[in-house]
Parts: sequence; structure tokens; C-alpha cells
Amino acid sequence: MSNKRKKFDKLLQTITYISASVGVLILSLIVVFVIRNGVGLINFDLITNDYHAQFYNGGIDEVTTFSNTPRPNELATDDIYSEKWGIALRDGLDREGKPIIEVVFIAEDSPLYAMYDKNNLENTEFKIEVENIISSVKFDDKPSALSIYGAEYMINELDAENQFREIVFSSLGGGIRGSLITTLYTIGLTLIIALPIGIFSAIYLNEFAKKNRLTRIIRSMIEMLTGVPSIIFGLMGLAVFVPLTTRYTPATSANLISGSLTLAVILLPIIIRSTEESLKVIPDDFRFASLALGANNSQTTFKVVLPSALPGILTATRF
Amino acid sequence: MNKTKKWIQEIKNKLHFNNKKEIVDFFVRLIFMISTIISASFIIIIIIFIAREGIKPFVTDNEGLGAVNLFRFLTGRVWLTGTTFQSTLYSVGFIIINTIYVAVLSLLISMPIGVLTALFIAKIAPKKLSSVMRTVIELLAAIPSIVYGLFGAGVILPFVYNFAKTLGIQSPGGNSVLATVIVLSLMILPTITALSEVAIRSVGKDIEHGSLALGATKTQTHFKVILTSAKSGIFSAAILGIGRALGEATAVSLVAGNAQNGPSFGIFQTTSTLTSTMLQGLKETIGLDYDIRFSVGIVLMIVILITNALLNYVKRKVGNVNVK
Repeated sequence: MSNKRKKFDKLLQTITYISASVGVLILSLIVVFVIRNGVGLINFDLITNDYHAQFYNGGIDEVTTFSNTPRPNELATDDIYSEKWGIALRDGLDREGKPIIEVVFIAEDSPLYAMYDKNNLENTEFKIEVENIISSVKFDDKPSALSIYGAEYMINELDAENQFREIVFSSLGGGIRGSLITTLYTIGLTLIIALPIGIFSAIYLNEFAKKNRLTRIIRSMIEMLTGVPSIIFGLMGLAVFVPLTTRYTPATSANLISGSLTLAVILLPIIIRSTEESLKVIPDDFRFASLALGANNSQTTFKVVLPSALPGILTATRF
Repeated sequence: MNKTKKWIQEIKNKLHFNNKKEIVDFFVRLIFMISTIISASFIIIIIIFIAREGIKPFVTDNEGLGAVNLFRFLTGRVWLTGTTFQSTLYSVGFIIINTIYVAVLSLLISMPIGVLTALFIAKIAPKKLSSVMRTVIELLAAIPSIVYGLFGAGVILPFVYNFAKTLGIQSPGGNSVLATVIVLSLMILPTITALSEVAIRSVGKDIEHGSLALGATKTQTHFKVILTSAKSGIFSAAILGIGRALGEATAVSLVAGNAQNGPSFGIFQTTSTLTSTMLQGLKETIGLDYDIRFSVGIVLMIVILITNALLNYVKRKVGNVNVK
């Protein structure tokens, strides 16, 4: 073999190796990126908390009686306690590493229980609770005590006064509890809608339908659904399902049902195709034997074909 | 008249059941048929409703604004001239060009890498390595596109921004043609690799052995025999890949920069695709500005159909060695 050809071979081989390694490397990089960025923020609170922190502005009328509770023993040494206001604060970090001030204890006779909701005066259940995050304490006659100055400063400023304008505090946000639940909810609802229709269609196409032109047209119409980009399905959901659901349900805009219906349409062709694949595997002998014994078509389908195809259908539709 | 009577008689015959078994059979058949008709009708529902909403801007006077000019809509170079809700001067001409430009560029990048990776997995790599790589590729093909978008926003945008800076170009946060092309090519790479690999593996062993027996080296066989035999499968992979690139919305809108005029051919210019234009502010708008997005949807579907038809034509033209 000529030398030139050998060199050319080597070149092509190197190109293949390089592109294979580049492809896999870049793709692994994506996984690494997502894991590296996400893993630091994952903990149990992420799953149990709501995404949006709820902010409250607590105002207070003139305080006459203050708390008398002495510092409780269960507080850690670096928790700052104010005997006057009956509240203990702790410096902490949120999940993104920013400093926050957390309420760790409130005495039972704390005057802070007299606070009212400045945004909603009828809110009778309003109160500051342990695990709330205090973002600032605002006074009438001096600068606000912000959370970046730390818990000690905030307590000192509070102790020096008998009155404040408002305390801004919030629940702990940044979690995905809501999204997680609704995601599972949507998937469940989608499957409830899509699975029966998809599996029935596949059975009809594979077991009952005559092999004629109409069946071919129906098949190609279902196939066409797979080629439609997802944003078009989204537009269809907006144009069809959202008006439909807002008319017949109390919902006023895009909602869970319209979302599930849209997703169900996206899933339908996939379910139909994979179910058909598992039905095709069942040998025709089974069907002929059942028919020869006098069973009709639907009996054959339900008592012979489906039991043997069921494991296949279940694995095919687990996505 | 006679015919109708005959039909009625036929239906009567069909609805006459001898026993319970036949009633059950009939209703089972009916339910299955109805589900099938429902499944099949969705494509028609999609077409009818999107067409109904999308044609509205061109035929009605849009609550006093006047109809949109179709020719101007398809050829213009600015998305919207004038103020929103007061102007009908929408056009997507430059966006169509942008979309095709971006999709073709990303296909040009990921096609060679994907096909050669597939060749490596199917023919060159040792069994264990190839099964690991195959798993990775299949995993990545199943990753939702928003994750690619996040990767683009988190890694590729800063990279493009810094790259432009070293060249002395001010890039708006990295949002550019280059970033979009990189994200899209990453996204269609697994699809192309997985499908090409199947095509390459299905090339008959006898062709390969024949080539080797004639004295060709392994590399020659791979490139000149196997890849050419798998041509049609590889073309199908390209068709699916470009379909995904054209229809991708979320990932693209995170990195494209939503240019309002164009077309943008420079790799550091911001761009916009049909999908990102549709998605941009979709939930915050009403009236004509909302309906026009459905028109963009129709344009997108037509673009995809034409591209697929074109690639299918090329696929038939380049011919096919018998694969099985």
C-alpha cells in the first residue's frame, strides 16, 4: 500500500476519534454543568418550600407592656436575644449564600404579637413566627436596621426604642414544592387522558381496522403529529383547550386541565406507536387459535392478545 | 331512493344482535374506533384552529387598524414598524431567513461530528466503551430542551461574550447567532448520532467483508463503503435534526437575543427565529399582536414542510445502496 494512502487513512481515523471524543465530551459537560450548579442548592427545604417568599409588613400600636421572659436555655450561644421584645434572632445564610436574619424564638408574652398586617387590616391570623426571615426593622426617627448589619445590630436598635414603624419579614421561599406537586399532577392527569385513547387507538389500528385506504390515511395523520414542533402544540392549546376549559370550568385563564390536554396530544402518537410495536410482537397463531375456538374479535383482543401484550405495553409507555 | 333503503337495511342488519357477545363486540369496536378517530383528528384540529387564528390578521380589519399586508408580512425586514397595538406593519421575512440560516449552520456543525461519532460507536470502539457512549447519547437525546437552554445561558453566553471581547467586538451579553448555533447544534447532536448509529449498524456485514476482502483498509471501508451505504439513514437523521432545530423554542429564546430587525448574518449579531418571536411576550399581549403569532406559527409549519420536502428530494436524488 502506498505511503500516501496510509497517511490519508491515519488522517481520517484521527478525525473520527477527535469528533467522537468532542461529541461525548461536550455532552458530558452539559450533565456536569447542570449537576454542579444544581447540587449545591438541593436539600430537603427545596422540596418542602414554596417558590415565592411571602412578604409581610407588620406595624404596631404604642407598646406599653414589654416582655419579661428571661433568655431561654435552649438558644445557641450566638443567637441574640432581646428580653424587652421577647425575640431571639440568628445570623444565617440563605441557599444562595446571602446573609439573612432568622427568627429562632419568640416569647409567649412578646409585644410583637400585637403587630397588625399593614397591607391587610382584616387579617386576624397575622403574626410573626419562628423560621420567618426579618429583612428590616424601620423606625420613625432613625435609619432602619437592615439585615446586612447583622442580628446583633438589629436587636440593639430595637432595645433602644419603645416604638417602631414596621418590621418587614417573609416566609422562607426559594423552594419548588408547588412546581413539584403541579408537575406530578399534570403528568398524572396527562396519562389518565392519553393512555386510554392511545392504547385503544393502537388496538383498533392493529386488531380491528381493515387494511384499506382509510386506515392508511388515519395512520399517516397520527404519524404527522410526531413531526409538529412543540410550540405549535402550545398554540393549539391556547386556541382550543384554554377557551374550552375557561368556558366549562371556573378557571379564568390557562390552567392545569388545558396543560394536561395539550401534553396528552403530544404524547398520543408516541403511545400509539409503542403500543402497536408491542402488539405486533404477539404471534398471529394466538389470534387464529382463539378465533378458531369460536371467540369473536373483541374476545380475542381482551382475553388473548392484551394479556400477552400487557407487559410490553407497560414498559413501552413508561417514558 | 332504493339505495338509501338498502343502506338502512344494512345498518339494521348490523345492529341486529343474536346474543350478548355480539353486543359487547359491537360496543368495544365502537369505543376503539372513536378513540382512533379522536387521535387522528388532532392534526386536523391543529391545522384548522391555527389557520383560523393565523389568517385573521390578513382578512379582518383588526378592530379598526386595517388588514395586514401579506406580501409585506412575508418579505419585510423589521418585525414591527410603529407602536404596538397601533400598527399593522408586521413582517417576518428576515426572521424566516434567520431561522433557516441558524438551523443550517447548526446542522453543518453537528452533522459531521454526529455521523463520525456514530461511526466510532458502531464500528471502531471496543464493545464496552461503545455501550457506555450509546447510553450517554440516548440519555442526552431525552434531555428536555430547556436544560440545553440553561446550559447555553450559563456557559455559552459568557463564553461568546468573552470571545467577542478578545476580538474587540461588543456583544450584547453574548446573545448572538453564534450562541444560538452552538446551543442548537448541541441539541440536535444526540438525535443525529443516535439515528446515524442505527443506520450504520444496519449496513450488511457482507458489504463490509467484501470491501475488506478486496484489500481495502478498515478506514477506507468505513468511509467509502459503510457511510455511503448508510446514506439514506443518515439523511433521515439530518431531516429529524433540522426539524428539531427549526421547531425549537425555549432554548433558542434564551440565547438568541430577539432581534427586531435583520436579517443578521454576522456571528456576533443578535438574531431571532420564528419560534422565539412567537414565544416572546405571548402571554402578555392581546388583539392583533396576539393573533399575528399564530400567523408566524403557520409560516413556521410551512417552512418545516418545505425543508423536509427538499431534504427528502435530495435523499431520493443521492440514491441508496441496498441497506438490508
